[in-house]
Amino acid sequence: MRSLRIAARNGYAKILIEQGPDMRFLKHRFAGSNPASPASLGPLEIAVMELLWEQGEASVHDVVGKLARPLAYTTVMTTLDRLFKKGLLDRRKAERAFVYSPRLSRREWEHKRTGDFVAGFLAAPQTSGELLISCLVEAVGQQDEALLDELERKIRLKRKELYRRGKA
Amino acid sequence: MILPYALRLVCLCLATFFLVHLALGLAAWFLTPAAIRLARRLRARAAARLLLALRLFPATASGLLVAGVCVPSYLWLEPRTAAEEVSLASIAAALAAGAFWAISMARAFRAAARSMRYVRRCQRLGRRTQLPGEISPVWLLEDAPAILVLAGILHPRILVSRAVIAALSTEQLAAALRHERAHRFSRDNLKRLFLLLAPEFFPLSRRGAALERAWSKYAEWAADDSAVAGDSFRSLSLAAALVKVARLGPVPRWSPLVTCLLNDGDLPARVERLLRGVPPGGSSAPRTPVVAVSATIAVLAPAVAMMFRPETLHTAHQLFEQLMH
Repeated sequence: MRSLRIAARNGYAKILIEQGPDMRFLKHRFAGSNPASPASLGPLEIAVMELLWEQGEASVHDVVGKLARPLAYTTVMTTLDRLFKKGLLDRRKAERAFVYSPRLSRREWEHKRTGDFVAGFLAAPQTSGELLISCLVEAVGQQDEALLDELERKIRLKRKELYRRGKA
Repeated sequence: MILPYALRLVCLCLATFFLVHLALGLAAWFLTPAAIRLARRLRARAAARLLLALRLFPATASGLLVAGVCVPSYLWLEPRTAAEEVSLASIAAALAAGAFWAISMARAFRAAARSMRYVRRCQRLGRRTQLPGEISPVWLLEDAPAILVLAGILHPRILVSRAVIAALSTEQLAAALRHERAHRFSRDNLKRLFLLLAPEFFPLSRRGAALERAWSKYAEWAADDSAVAGDSFRSLSLAAALVKVARLGPVPRWSPLVTCLLNDGDLPARVERLLRGVPPGGSSAPRTPVVAVSATIAVLAPAVAMMFRPETLHTAHQLFEQLMH
């Protein structure tokens, strides 16, 4: 039985693959080569990005006021600056304060995150690539089966309805 | 660059095609989102026609203009003198048009060749047979994977494998075959070839491809409509046939010119639509679209008359002279 687990911590994505009796540990640092890699975002950074995607643009003051939990101004400022340095935000100066806006849309960010994950995985030895593809095919197959079951159920219901109507 | 008479004509035709296609392609590019939105409100067949017309419009109109104005004005008014100077911009435009056409034609010929190879192979492996209750013969493949396709461009054939016949009930098979016959009646494989031949609106644009995807979806829906002809039980049979064929496994796409019963990723939408009850489809008997033909003649006849007036050709020739020098 093959299984795949992914654990993220401190900007690292740790991929654990168990394949039969063999166990391989692959440690891939996504943040290493690509400064804009979304996989390296922490919870606060993700919260700030979510807020900026919603707002379009905001200053440090705006972000502090809109975050769900109260945080120090300097903490938020550092977070925004870090996101800017990672290439995820643009900034412009307005009345002696920076106004930040997302450089990537949410969709682009998700696309990039998935792309980075898959690219990182496929860059590992051949078995990892095969395993990923096999997991994906299996997952898609299961989803397809569920979808076809659901469609068949709807057809059965419709058939019953038509026969009932025909008899009436 | 100095070019002789015949090469100047080629260069003029290609450069004119490039410029006109660019302008019309830009217009089509802007109209594409609105056309796709409008298509949602139309019947499937009308939506497919609208999208196909918009996709083919820039290439067709540019080709007609070149053939109807550019070539006659050049042959009639250009003196057959020795070689003349042609500007580098015109040559660049001609080369760009040549490259677009070469790419499109290579794509279309490759697809057509693959389609023909596939049909020949199936005909070698299968046999022509008349299924019980069916009006037209099909090609039956005994050992092939689950396929039910329409292959061929000018004389398309329905190819069906034994696995599909075994999986479907008589009504479901009849509905599925009616669907494929509707594609054959609409000449959808030929339309696919025209789509492959038409260059993209302009370099790096993807809206032409988006239009083709939308057309493909509505062409499937239109074939569904024709197959069920407004009958709820036929709708149900076709929906069940789609799901059963999907369960038999994915079918590789041999060529863009082979129409499969299942289109990529459109299954849930098609089944839901069939269960909702589709509008009555078009009749499968040939009919003359009198209004469409009359409207086309009414628009084209004055345009052709205008095109061949000496003044028009003179003006066009002056314009082309400016373009070339």
